[in-house]
Amino acid sequence: MLFNSLDFLIFLPMVFVLYWFVFKKSLKIQNLLVIFASYVFYGWWDWRFLILIFLSTVLDFLVGQQIFKNQDNNKKAKYWLWVSVAFNLGLLGFFKYFNFFVDSFIESLNALGYNMKSVWTLRIILPIGISFYTFQTMSYSFDIYYKKLKPTTNFVSFAAFVAFFPQLVAGPIERASNLLSQINTRRIFKYEQATSGLKLILWGFFKKLVIADSLAPIVDDIFTNYADYPASTLILGVSLFSFQVYGDFSGYTDIAIGTAKLFGVELMSNFKFPNFSRNIAEYWQRWHVSLSTWFRHYLYIPMGGSRVSKLKSLRNISVIFLVSGLWHGANWTFVFWGGIHALLYIPVFLMGRNRVYADNVIAEKTWLPSITEVFQVLLTFFLVTFSRIFFRSPTLSSSFEFIGQIKNNFSYEPYMHPMGYRMFDFYLLIALFTIYEYLIRRDERNPFKFSSPIVRFLLYALVVMSILLFYDDGVNRSFIYFQF
Amino acid sequence: MKKFILKSVLYIFLILILLEIIVRVCHLYGEDPPRYIDEYGVEKRVPDNDGYAVTGNRKMNYSKFHINKAGFNSFREFTPSIDKYEMALIGDSFIEGFHQDFSNSIGKQIEDQTHGIEVYEYGYAGYDFANQIYLVHAYKNDFQYIDQIVLYLKYENDLERDIYKPNTDRIKLLSSTIFKIRNNIKLLSYGTKIGILSPIKNLVKRGMAFNNSTEGYQTNELKGSKAEELKVDQKRIANFKKLIEVYGFDKNKTSLLLDSRTTSERFLEFCRSNNIRYIDFSTSFKNSKKPTTLIYDHHWNAHGRSIIAKVLAHDLKEQQK
Repeated sequence: MLFNSLDFLIFLPMVFVLYWFVFKKSLKIQNLLVIFASYVFYGWWDWRFLILIFLSTVLDFLVGQQIFKNQDNNKKAKYWLWVSVAFNLGLLGFFKYFNFFVDSFIESLNALGYNMKSVWTLRIILPIGISFYTFQTMSYSFDIYYKKLKPTTNFVSFAAFVAFFPQLVAGPIERASNLLSQINTRRIFKYEQATSGLKLILWGFFKKLVIADSLAPIVDDIFTNYADYPASTLILGVSLFSFQVYGDFSGYTDIAIGTAKLFGVELMSNFKFPNFSRNIAEYWQRWHVSLSTWFRHYLYIPMGGSRVSKLKSLRNISVIFLVSGLWHGANWTFVFWGGIHALLYIPVFLMGRNRVYADNVIAEKTWLPSITEVFQVLLTFFLVTFSRIFFRSPTLSSSFEFIGQIKNNFSYEPYMHPMGYRMFDFYLLIALFTIYEYLIRRDERNPFKFSSPIVRFLLYALVVMSILLFYDDGVNRSFIYFQF
Repeated sequence: MKKFILKSVLYIFLILILLEIIVRVCHLYGEDPPRYIDEYGVEKRVPDNDGYAVTGNRKMNYSKFHINKAGFNSFREFTPSIDKYEMALIGDSFIEGFHQDFSNSIGKQIEDQTHGIEVYEYGYAGYDFANQIYLVHAYKNDFQYIDQIVLYLKYENDLERDIYKPNTDRIKLLSSTIFKIRNNIKLLSYGTKIGILSPIKNLVKRGMAFNNSTEGYQTNELKGSKAEELKVDQKRIANFKKLIEVYGFDKNKTSLLLDSRTTSERFLEFCRSNNIRYIDFSTSFKNSKKPTTLIYDHHWNAHGRSIIAKVLAHDLKEQQK
């Protein structure tokens, strides 16, 4: 079920009413409702893949207990941890990467002169959200192994933690210490929390329906017909893609966090205005935070993190970015994208500037940013946007052709919208969106933080009006990150 | 919880009121002048109505219309007489031309390009060939003075019936309470037009289709085949013959305006062999370097309409020679 569908608009109030009015007396029954609603939510897309979620739930529930039971016997505990990792990565490997690895293996053999044809490639449907929920369940086993968490003995709570529908298909990837503890505790309806949830949902819809969906036809057109366009159009296309993917994914996250708030649950922040990052390190502290945190906790730090020799640290950074790239999709374009980010991150790391912006935002104590900050933001945006050529292109060769076309056809021509709409509307939209995000840059969880209720009300109305003004009936409304 | 629900409902209500005001003030909604069936059984617009037609979310196309005393969108009143040279241009929404300001319509452009000719545009969204030919028949007292009649024929969907019957169901539906509410609440009218309410409509349709699951079943054995094409052409030609037989067709002053790219060669051959004149605008459209249709709509844009006007003006001049 898509957040931006009529089905969800009917589903959400129904679950809300059942949750707070019918089942609120018993935590267990309330959690059973969460499981049922989440399975309906997921099964709306394809009910057959519910079995994978269920298997992953059962296995990690049992594994968690085994790891805990064998806490004093590290060898056995490690064995159970590997069972969880092997199972979850096995699911991912089969459904997401099987064809990729087979094809890549055959291609490399062909390159070495062995003429082979792939007979192993299978027609596999990628189950939505598999990369998210497998990582979430693995985090549970890791946390128990690292003695940061005690396993739950309540299967219902655990199943609700794995399947919690607001964040099931595209995150944020929650750690059990945050989400499971809330699911294990009796939730109380709080007016402020619920209204803040509704505000986030509204803002998320704006980002998805107005920013991402209205830019999608332009980006699709430019990336499909890149060979026919001059550099100015290609640069426009990839820049707008930066806004599209941000609007799409952060919009989804805002709706997810907002929906969870309606049920008395706080999810972690996933996006903290990454477009105002002053270097690549800050960008990764603001973009898809739950994934970066996951990799830091469960891969980077266990490998030694930065507390090893410089050379090993560089290796660790490279591994993190390459794996993160591969996590996004079974395509060399994503690995390359990860590689570019590693190359951009390493100099920042070597200069010791990877944590300097961790606790502050651009123009922290002033209204306007300094010229240096403007330059830093523009440079970071340019570098991140450049890397997105690889993220968006279907193949590595088309990525390089796209870049080649920018170089070889370095000229300007005004771009005409594929549907004939005024392009000025979209430029104005992006400009206003960026200015507004700048104004609210200090608090990603409160997009309408204005003291005057009249101003807030006018903003709500303006946001809804913008949705009407930019609503496009013909756009594919799916979320980009569903494919990961 | 009570406060949350009450306040949410209040906010939604106030936002909707504010949006209604914005939609009205910015005139984002399109107007559809009321329709009726007159004493002759002809479906048309209620006379003497002015308003604005709007296309797209952000008023991408915005034009004024004027329904004259005859009940059609036109810059002039229709007063045919023996002393003047008149041309009647009859057709559907393409001729009705809500996509262009009425003061610059196809008829006006034809008049500007010719001398001493009055053009009467009998355009009405939804007219097929049966509507058009019945109109000429029903208003024969007026049409006896009109010197040239041009009927715009879209072959692919204008010849599906062989007898005229006024569409009373549509008129009833449009004057039903639901439609009245929709027309009065401009936000609703705007929402319907931009498609944001389509999911609700589809949900209702889905529900209805579920109840009538046998409906819609049809064989596709012949679909797209040569045999099917022949069958369709034969049916359409038979409908055409029957309609001109029942309602009359003055070959001396009536022509069909058509696009030969979307018209069957069999039908064109039938016209040629029966001395039925047709004006084909396909070459002019094909040669146009600029797009001829609106991009967010399938109707002719200002450029397409000026091409049609040129083609018809040229034809009129040829006729007058």
